Amino acid sequence: MSDAAQPQPGGDERIKEISGFRKALIRPELGGIVGAIAVFTFFIIFAGDSGMFNAQGIMNWSVVSAQFMIIAVGACMLMIAGEFDLSVGSMIGFAGMSIAILGVTLAWPIWLAILTTFALCMAVGALNGYIVIKTGLPSFIVTLAALFILRGFTIFFPQAIENRTIIGGISDAAEGDWLAPVFGGEILGGVFVWLADLGLIDTFERGTRAGEPVVDGIPMLIVWALGLVAVGHIVLTRTKFGNWVFAAGGDPQAARYVGVPVNRVKILMFMFTAFCACVFATAQVMEFGSAGADRGLLKEFEAIIAVVIGGALLTGGYGSVIGAALGALIFGVVQQGLFFAGVESSLFRVFLGVILLFAVILNTYIRRIITGER
Amino acid sequence: MSTDRAPIIEMKDIEKHFGSVIALAGVSLEVYPGECHCLLGDNGAGKSTFIKTMSGVHKPTKGEIIFEGQPMNFADPRDAISAGIATVYQDLAMIPLMSVTRNFFMGNEPIRKRGPLRFFDHDYANRITMEEMRKMGINLRGPDQAVGTLSGGERQTVAIARAVHFGAKVLILDEPTSALGVRQTANVLATVDKVRKQGIAVVFITHNVRHALAVGDRFTVLNRGQTLGTAQRGQITPEELQDMMAGGQELVALEDSLGGTV
Amino acid sequence: MKVFAKSVALAAMVAAAPLLVAGTAQAEGERYVLVSHAPDSDSWWNTIKNALSLAGDQMGVEVEYRNPPTGDLADMARIIEQATASGPDGIITTLADYDVLSGPIQAAVDSGIDVIIMNSGTPAQAADVGALMYVGQPEYDAGLAAGQRAARDGVTSFLCVNHYISSPASTERCQGFADGLGVDLGSQMIDSGQDPAEIQNRVLAYLNANPETEAVLTLGPTSADPTILALEENGMAGDIYFGTFDLGDNIVQGIRDGVIEWGIDQQPFLQAYLPIVVLTNYHRYGVLPGNNINSGPGFITADGLELVETYAGEFR
Repeated sequence: MSDAAQPQPGGDERIKEISGFRKALIRPELGGIVGAIAVFTFFIIFAGDSGMFNAQGIMNWSVVSAQFMIIAVGACMLMIAGEFDLSVGSMIGFAGMSIAILGVTLAWPIWLAILTTFALCMAVGALNGYIVIKTGLPSFIVTLAALFILRGFTIFFPQAIENRTIIGGISDAAEGDWLAPVFGGEILGGVFVWLADLGLIDTFERGTRAGEPVVDGIPMLIVWALGLVAVGHIVLTRTKFGNWVFAAGGDPQAARYVGVPVNRVKILMFMFTAFCACVFATAQVMEFGSAGADRGLLKEFEAIIAVVIGGALLTGGYGSVIGAALGALIFGVVQQGLFFAGVESSLFRVFLGVILLFAVILNTYIRRIITGER
Repeated sequence: MSTDRAPIIEMKDIEKHFGSVIALAGVSLEVYPGECHCLLGDNGAGKSTFIKTMSGVHKPTKGEIIFEGQPMNFADPRDAISAGIATVYQDLAMIPLMSVTRNFFMGNEPIRKRGPLRFFDHDYANRITMEEMRKMGINLRGPDQAVGTLSGGERQTVAIARAVHFGAKVLILDEPTSALGVRQTANVLATVDKVRKQGIAVVFITHNVRHALAVGDRFTVLNRGQTLGTAQRGQITPEELQDMMAGGQELVALEDSLGGTV
Repeated sequence: MKVFAKSVALAAMVAAAPLLVAGTAQAEGERYVLVSHAPDSDSWWNTIKNALSLAGDQMGVEVEYRNPPTGDLADMARIIEQATASGPDGIITTLADYDVLSGPIQAAVDSGIDVIIMNSGTPAQAADVGALMYVGQPEYDAGLAAGQRAARDGVTSFLCVNHYISSPASTERCQGFADGLGVDLGSQMIDSGQDPAEIQNRVLAYLNANPETEAVLTLGPTSADPTILALEENGMAGDIYFGTFDLGDNIVQGIRDGVIEWGIDQQPFLQAYLPIVVLTNYHRYGVLPGNNINSGPGFITADGLELVETYAGEFR
C-alpha cells in the first residue's frame, strides 16, 4: 500500500502535492478542534476564576454540552445522509410529555412508558422519512410540519387530560424503576465523595446534604452523549452502513445505481434522529421529574448549528460525528461561559450568529478544495 | 466476431410504454462476450430507456431479456448487478465528496468480522483500490483522495474499473465520452479496449460516430424507439452511420451545405 | 483563503468586544444574580431589569439578570446551577415549576447561597426549597380577587387570553378568575401564542364565535395590547368588561380611555428591588424581615393613573 501511494514518474505533473495544511483542513473535525481550543483558551483567560472551572461549573457546561451532543449526533448523521429534521425540538417536548402522561396520568410502570415512548418517537421518525422519500419533498418542509404537529399535540394532550401544560410527579412514579436510572441516574458517585474528602471539590455547607460533595456523580446524560458519539462515529467511519450513509447524502441516484438501499438508509437515519431526541427527553424528564409543553423549543436549530460548526455540509454527504460532538461542546461552553465571563446574555445570539456564519464559510471553502470546484 | 458463440445477453422485441408514450417499439439486440457493441442514436432515440431496461431500472412493457441462456426478470438494479450487468452512467458514476476507496466499494463494502461485529475493512479496500487504479493507469495521491479531485475521464475509468472488479459480465457505458476532452476521451476508449480484451461484453452508448468506430465491433442504430439495423465493423462507413442516426436524408442535404464537417 | 482569514478576524473582534467591556465593569461589593423564567420576547420583564439595576446602583452591589432565551424551564434549571457554580452572595429566582427548579435551588441553598423566590411559585414552596422569603403576588389568589371583583360588577362569563400557556402560573390566574366568578373555566381559556397578530386574530375569532362573552381577561401586555386592538376592530371596546394582569403603556392608555376596567398591578418593581435591598442588608447588617412580602395585587383604575403613566413600562 505504501509503495502504491508513491507518485510515479509519468503521472500527471499538473497535480500539485497537497500541502499538509490543506490536507488537515479537509478533515471535517478540524474546525471543531480549533474552535474548541480557542473557546477554552478564551474562557480560561476571561472567566478562569469565576467558578466556571470548579467542579460545579465544569459539571454545568458539561451537562449542557452533553445535551447538545445527544441531539447533534442524530442531526449529524441525518445531515450526512442528505436530510434535515426540524422536528427534533418538538420531538423532545412530545417524548417527555408522552412519558409523563403514560407514566403518571395513566400510571403505567415507568419502564413501559419509556419503551412505548421510544417506539412512538421512532415511528414518527420513520413516518417523517417515509413521507420525504415517497413524496420527494424537501425534508425541511416535511419535518417543519412535524414540528408544528408534535408541538400542538404536546400542548393539547396534557391540557385535555389534566388541564395543565406541565405534568409533574415523575420522580415519585419512577421510584424503584429499573429503567429510569439508565437515563436519570448518576455513576461514579464514590469517586466524587473521595475527591471531596481530599478537598478537591467543595461540599454542601448546610441542609440535609451538608458534607456531601456539590457534584455527586456523572449524570447518565453525559454517559449517553459519549456513548452515542462513539457509536455514531464507528458506524459512520468503520462500517458498511456508514459508507451507505455518506453515499445516500452525497448523491442518492448514484448510490441507488450501485445497489445502495438509499431509502432504507434515510428512513433509518430519521428514526435514529428521533431516537436521540427521545434519549434527550427521557434523561431530562427523569432528572427534573416533570414534563412541560415548552421543553425543547428551538433545539432543532441548536442541533443543526452544532453539526455545522462541527464541519458537516448542509448539502449532505460530508461530515463527522466527532466534529458534531466538538460543535456541541463549543456551543455548550460558549453558552454557559458567557455568563461566567459576565457578558450580557442577549449577546450570546450575536456570538452564535457569527460563529455559525464563520463555520459555514469555512465549510464551503473546504468543499471547494475537496470537489475541485473553482 | 464469431457468431457461432452464444450471446451473453439477448434483448428480444423490447417495448416500453410510459403512459401513452411509446419509448421503445420493439428493439432487439444481442451482445457477445468480448465484443464492444455500440448503441448509436440521436437524443430522444430511446437509448437511455433501452439501457435502463437492460440494467433493471425499468421493466419492459413487452419483450424478453435472455441472459446467459435464461430468461431474466430484473426487479431492480440490484438484481441486474448481482447477475453481472453493471452500468456506468455519465454523470452519476461517482460521488465527488467521497474518497476513491469509498466510491470504489460503494454498495460492495468488504467486511471484516470482529467477534459479533462487522466492520468495513479499510485496509483491504485501500489496497485493492490502489492496485486497480494503477492497472488503469491512474496515479492517486492516496486511497482517501476525494473523487471530486479527479478529472471526468478518470472518474469514468474508476467507475469502469469498479464494475470490472466486481465481476461484471456485461458492462453498459452511458455516453462515457460525451463531456470529455480529446485526451481524456482517448484514455476512456483505451480502457474500454482493455476491458473488452478481458472477455467482458461492452455496450457502448454514444452519439459520436468517431468514438464508436474507434472501439466498436458492431453497431446498432436506434431511431424513434426502433432498431434501424446492426452492422459489423468494416461493413459500414462513418457517413452511413451518421445518416442512419439522423433518420435519413435530411442530414445529407445539410451535410452538403456544411461541407461534410458534421 | 482570504475570506477565511477575514472571517477569523471578524469573529474574534465581535466575540472579544463585549468580554472586554464586561471585564472592566466589575463593581465592588456583593454580587446577586436574578434568574427569571421569561423568554427574551416578554417585554414585561423590562421593569424587573430596570428595578434590578436601580437597586444595584442604590445599594452599591453587582447585579446580573439571566433568563432562558426561549422560556424553556429545563434551560432555566441549568442557569440556576450555573449561577450557583459562579458563587454569588445571593440568587433571586422565580419558581415557575417546582418539579424542575426545586433541585437546583435547593443545591444553591445547600452550597451556602441565600435565595429569595420572586414572582412565581407560592410562599409554601419557597419555604420548602429553603429560600429566605417569597416576594410576589400569589397567582391564584390574585386571579380569585379579580374574579370576585368582576362578579360584583355582574360578570358571569369571560375569555382568558393566555399567552404563556406552558407556565402553570398563567393557567392559575385564569382558574382563580373563574373560581372568583363562580363558573367553570372549561374552554373559556385560549392559547393565544406570543405573536401580536396571532393573538389579535384569535381573540377576534373567539369573540366572533361566542358573542355573548361578557368579559375579557388578559395576562399581561403581551396579550393585552393585541386584545385592545381586537376590541377596537370589532367594536366591543369600552362595551365588554376588560380586565388585565400587569401594566404597560397601552394598558394604561386603555384604562384612561375606559376600554380597560382595571389592571392588576403586581408591582414587579418591588419583586426585583426588594430582594436586593433585603439581601444586601442581611449580608451587611444581619437584618431580615420576618415574613414573606406580597408585592400585589393592587387594582389600578382610571383614578390615580398619574405616577403609573409616568413610569409605565419602565418601573411600573
